[in-house]
Amino acid sequence: MAREERSERGSYKKFFPPKKKFCRFCQRNVKFIDHKNVDILKKYIPDRGKISPRRITGTCAFHQRKLAEAIKRARLLALLPFVED
Amino acid sequence: MRLYETGFLISPNVTEEEADILIQQMADIVTQKNGKMAKLEKWGKRRMAYQIGKFGEAYYVFFHYDGGPDIPLELGRRFRQMDTILRYLTLVKETQQNVRKKKKAVDRRRAKETAAGEPTEPAAEGGTPEPRKREEA
Repeated sequence: MAREERSERGSYKKFFPPKKKFCRFCQRNVKFIDHKNVDILKKYIPDRGKISPRRITGTCAFHQRKLAEAIKRARLLALLPFVED
Repeated sequence: MRLYETGFLISPNVTEEEADILIQQMADIVTQKNGKMAKLEKWGKRRMAYQIGKFGEAYYVFFHYDGGPDIPLELGRRFRQMDTILRYLTLVKETQQNVRKKKKAVDRRRAKETAAGEPTEPAAEGGTPEPRKREEA
């Protein structure tokens, strides 16, 4: 029963293909992500303070690496939280 | 000579004038060691994302300078001795632009195609310029 319900709920997906994700850094041709630019980094850490994965944000591998590094540096300088509760 | 970036946090129990004096002292170290200060950023007092020690705020200062490796070492040594510095972070800035190889190759190919001209477009798509040379020979 439960499985049927779920399949019904998910059936809308058939008609609406998922929105294509893209890398926002590639779009702007960014080459260096600054750890001091907190406003940009904040978009990539949801409520909990974790770095959001590539499969959700659509960031390319190159920029995800740079982004993760920048976020970790910002955390050291207490610009971003390690954990948020 | 390399480009360095050093950021540090001064504890909030220091007054602003004292903080300014401290920043000036650190900037003097850079110039004494034949470094060139490219940029000095003072963000002023700012809330931290989490508490360090018992402080919730700090003065944020960032130095961008050009110089030898002894400057960040000396600065780090000084920072560790002082109780008023909560944190510091030194980075070596990459001078060469980190462009991805794949993208570079694509850009180069595109530039070549445009340079070769439009009339030979189908031939350019078929193969790289090298085999074409062989055909000519």
